[in-house]
Amino acid sequence: MSEQAALRSPRLLVKVLCFAFAVIGCVIVAIFLLFSWQTNARLTQTVVDNMESSQLRFAGIDARLRREHTLQAMALAENPTLKAAVDTYYSERGNEHELGQLQSTIETELAKLQQIMAVPALSVTDVRGVVLASAGPNKSDWPVGARVQLRVEENGTPVETVVLRNGNPYTATAVPLVLGRDVVGEFFLASPLDDAYAVDLANEARADIAILLNGRVIASSTPPSLRRALEGIALPLSGTIVLGQDEFVVQRLSSVDSASVYALGSVATASRTASSETGWVLLLAGAGALLMAVGGSWWVARTVAHPIDRLSHSLATMAKARDFDRPLPPTGGSRELDTLTATFNELRTAVSLAEAESEAAYLGVIGALATALDARDPYTAGHSQRVADLSVAIGRQMQLPDSDLETLRLGALLHDIGKIGVSDAVLRKPTKLTAEEFEQIKLHPTLGARILKPLRFLDAQLAIVELHHERPDGRGYPYGLKGDDIPMFARIVHVADAFDAMTSARAYRGALPIATALGELWRLIGVDFDAQVVQAMAALPITLTEPVPSEEATGTDRPASGALVQFPARSVAHTAHHTQIALRRAE
Amino acid sequence: MVSLRVCAGVALSLAVLCSSERPDVMARAATGTLTGRVHVIAHPARRLATAGAYPGRIVGIQGERETSELDNVVVFVSSPLRGDSTPQRVAIRQTNEEFVPHVVAVTTGSTVEFPNDDLIFHNVFSLSRAATFDLGRYPRNASKARTFTKPGVIKVFCHLHSHMSAIVRVFPHPFFAVPDRDGRFTIPNVPSGRLEVTAWHERAGEVTHPATIESGEATELTFSLPLTDPE
Repeated sequence: MSEQAALRSPRLLVKVLCFAFAVIGCVIVAIFLLFSWQTNARLTQTVVDNMESSQLRFAGIDARLRREHTLQAMALAENPTLKAAVDTYYSERGNEHELGQLQSTIETELAKLQQIMAVPALSVTDVRGVVLASAGPNKSDWPVGARVQLRVEENGTPVETVVLRNGNPYTATAVPLVLGRDVVGEFFLASPLDDAYAVDLANEARADIAILLNGRVIASSTPPSLRRALEGIALPLSGTIVLGQDEFVVQRLSSVDSASVYALGSVATASRTASSETGWVLLLAGAGALLMAVGGSWWVARTVAHPIDRLSHSLATMAKARDFDRPLPPTGGSRELDTLTATFNELRTAVSLAEAESEAAYLGVIGALATALDARDPYTAGHSQRVADLSVAIGRQMQLPDSDLETLRLGALLHDIGKIGVSDAVLRKPTKLTAEEFEQIKLHPTLGARILKPLRFLDAQLAIVELHHERPDGRGYPYGLKGDDIPMFARIVHVADAFDAMTSARAYRGALPIATALGELWRLIGVDFDAQVVQAMAALPITLTEPVPSEEATGTDRPASGALVQFPARSVAHTAHHTQIALRRAE
Repeated sequence: MVSLRVCAGVALSLAVLCSSERPDVMARAATGTLTGRVHVIAHPARRLATAGAYPGRIVGIQGERETSELDNVVVFVSSPLRGDSTPQRVAIRQTNEEFVPHVVAVTTGSTVEFPNDDLIFHNVFSLSRAATFDLGRYPRNASKARTFTKPGVIKVFCHLHSHMSAIVRVFPHPFFAVPDRDGRFTIPNVPSGRLEVTAWHERAGEVTHPATIESGEATELTFSLPLTDPE
């Protein structure tokens, strides 16, 4: 997966999180909506029930208040002065000019009663129904001398009546003034059926009030729009109606003649407070549930995505480090993932084996090349192999890790590969080389590096091949590097190469004894050889071997006293894949 | 509106043929006797089955009194007459929260006593033009009196008991009578000549008939109450 693609595609965790949250969120929102819808419906029903019962209660209270009001009026009608004045007024009606005193007596008594009853209009009529006096703020609608027809039941129980005075509708209750068993006049309380009356009643009822006369709204506490909507609507005795957009609970409180007083309650208004409260609770619950859904989705996403995430991370790390040697750890997330991991590991092993095989093939070719090279000169036969063995022995002595030893071994094996480019004439010249010839020889490390460069898996060995003739004092070739600038592997191979050269016979000299060679090494520490390497070399349990003519050397003029070095028989892991080295135990 | 039921009944003209010629009538040649009968056909004004806000209160010092609307009728000569108005002294008793009798008729200068027979306090007052007074409150067995000097209708009430009322009719002459339980009345020694006779009831109003009194003769009159609406 490319870096860009990695940036473009969302992380699995995010994807799973979003998906899980979307699903859970949708479910929660659906439940929330359903629940709030149901709650609202139930709430509305409760509000309707409450309003109905409260209106019914108020209707009862209102009826009782009216009864009590009437009883109070009846009690007040027992006022003896009023009765005496009305009765006397009646009996003396022939002498109108003498009636002033009685008139004012009646008016005074009425004013007192009006203060007690606090009704808008209070009047007294004589037996003929002629108003004798009136009191109260609305008394102008009940002028003296006016004829008023009010109903009283036969047993004297007052009855409420609706009457029009000067075009204003009044609700009036007549109470007979009884003297002995005779009715001497009537005393009545009247309230105009106007908006103020409706508003007063509405405040007590805690509901809107509408007063209808012959189906026409004559007064109401409602806003004008609702009032208009009420016109011409048949209101039920008790129940609900829909006006405009809103539902109303309706209860008839009282009905007198053709006038009816209705209590009206808007369901929406009443339920607004309650529903806003429950709405908050629901909203909080919903928000809590969504929050929990986020947590749950996170958990789900983590559970699903984490093993995959870990696997992908391991793969990424592996790819980055190009380290395919170790198998992937099982994620433990699921069987599928484990199968995936296992399959990957198998593939990885197969690929590694294939790689190793191809590497081995390469190495085989190269080793063969090296051997062939060595074989060009009988004096150098087996040289590369011996240097490799010795280098590994030194490296092991220096406690280098196995992987380094392998690098060392291969590097050492190939260190003289560049000699391919050196002509046989120079290479096999039995006499001392001229300066020009030596310059030719000195080209071989660079040449070797050039040969090996295309082989990427031999990158680590390149330095050994290229730098194995550098010297600590800087007088080596090809670069003249000094001391620590020379890689340790190159230093090791340099020492091993020199040692093998010294202990091998040449056309122009015999093989030096090992001790002499070692002495030479010691002598040239810091000049030609690295101290650390020479020390390690010296510490090797080396035994002198009798020079045994090798297969290549047989039949040649190679001295028979060639020294071979025997190392404790522990070869490097890959040795088995390569040319088997025949080591001879010293006799 | 108080609906007065008009009695369309025909008054029974019951001829009373008993010769009531008494010695004293005969002795005065210039006077005659007025006699007759009053019929209260139905109660003239609206009456209620109950009596206001406080019905049925029984003080209970006497038993049920038998009453008749005829007790509340006064028949009198309504023509302006002068006569011997010897002051009288009559009583209106306060019994069982009632003024008994409900109606009395007296001549000017007469005194009406108001003895209290009840166990409770009573009061007597009047707002009437002919006599405006207030005798105050007084207990059982106490009595207060009032002398009426002006003719007229005096309505009397009790401040303590708003359902109590009585009427004192004061005449400047003695030519008046309250009919008996049969409705019969007799007014003796009426000066002869043409005059008007009125039967009166507080709610039914008045019925006036002309009459010619002949010396030494008894003149018979029949009244039917109520009348139509007083208007």
